[in-house]
Amino acid sequence: MDRRTFIGTAATAGAAAVLPAFPASAGHAHEAAVTAPTTFYSGPDPETPRIGLRWAFSATVFFADRIMIGSPAPRGYTSVAGGEIWGPRLQGRVLPASGADYYRGSFNTYYMFQASDDALIFIHNRGTMRRFQAPPEAGRPLTPQTTADPSTPGWMRFRATPVFTAPIGPHDWMNRTVFVANSQRQEHPDHTVFTYYEVL
Amino acid sequence: MREFAIPETHSKVMGEVKLDYAFQLHALYDPPRVSHTPKGDFRYQDIASGEVRGERLNASVYPDSGGQYDTVRADRTRDVDAHFILKADNGEWIYVEHVGYRRPDGYYRAIAYVDADTKGAYDWLNNTTFVVTATESPDQRSVIFYYYIAN
Repeated sequence: MDRRTFIGTAATAGAAAVLPAFPASAGHAHEAAVTAPTTFYSGPDPETPRIGLRWAFSATVFFADRIMIGSPAPRGYTSVAGGEIWGPRLQGRVLPASGADYYRGSFNTYYMFQASDDALIFIHNRGTMRRFQAPPEAGRPLTPQTTADPSTPGWMRFRATPVFTAPIGPHDWMNRTVFVANSQRQEHPDHTVFTYYEVL
Repeated sequence: MREFAIPETHSKVMGEVKLDYAFQLHALYDPPRVSHTPKGDFRYQDIASGEVRGERLNASVYPDSGGQYDTVRADRTRDVDAHFILKADNGEWIYVEHVGYRRPDGYYRAIAYVDADTKGAYDWLNNTTFVVTATESPDQRSVIFYYYIAN
């Protein structure tokens, strides 16, 4: 078993282990569209246009090598071993060893999805991370956590904004939709679940 | 269209995103200049001026500090790529970048990335992801952008 076969198998096995009950196969890209409910947001002025978020899909991603390059602006490398994509609007897998987070200042990944119909979808994902003293409360601005106050656990906000390049066909909607994502790191085994919302 | 419920028990796995309205920008542009390129039509529009109004940020567009550098697809969808500079009411400088899509069906959405002075009054803008929607005048020279924090 070479390295690629190994990490591909490991990633798939891991994803199956942590997501046993989730209906990952519900609906294929070529079937009738399946969507999650939409949450709408607006501003204080009723003329502010509404904006909606709707869960599109999630990706369970296993990262592997972690390297830092001491360039003038330090560049990180965290390779993508593989993973699984599940949810209402896209199913498939993360193409094993198809790219990495090439961190510089912030999260900046380039890798490939392989949809259940074999379509190859390129993801370029930029992310931001910041720690605050407490989670958001309605009507109150977040207060960044200072290094002088490490005692409180605080609240980490990670947001990623992917740009997809999908082939012409059933996944074409991804080429003209804005997305925003959250992620949660999971243990046993170590992996990250990215949850992608369509901006409507 | 079938609805796909999010299982309650997956909150530890699936991260949430909520939007909080932050501010709006009324921007005035010069007329667009379109050129034909191997990648499709390229649409440049200089940002002449603008005003940002919001509870936590009031600023002006630094005149001619950038604009829209969009690529126009065959179906008229625009890949939005905008860069410009704001000068806040306290004199601090702020960089704004938009990445998104403007579609012929009226969908105009983008992500805004903002850089501010970490030692200044607007440090809260750093490492904040904004989701943006826009409304345009018919000649597309007057645009209002609405910025929501992805919290």
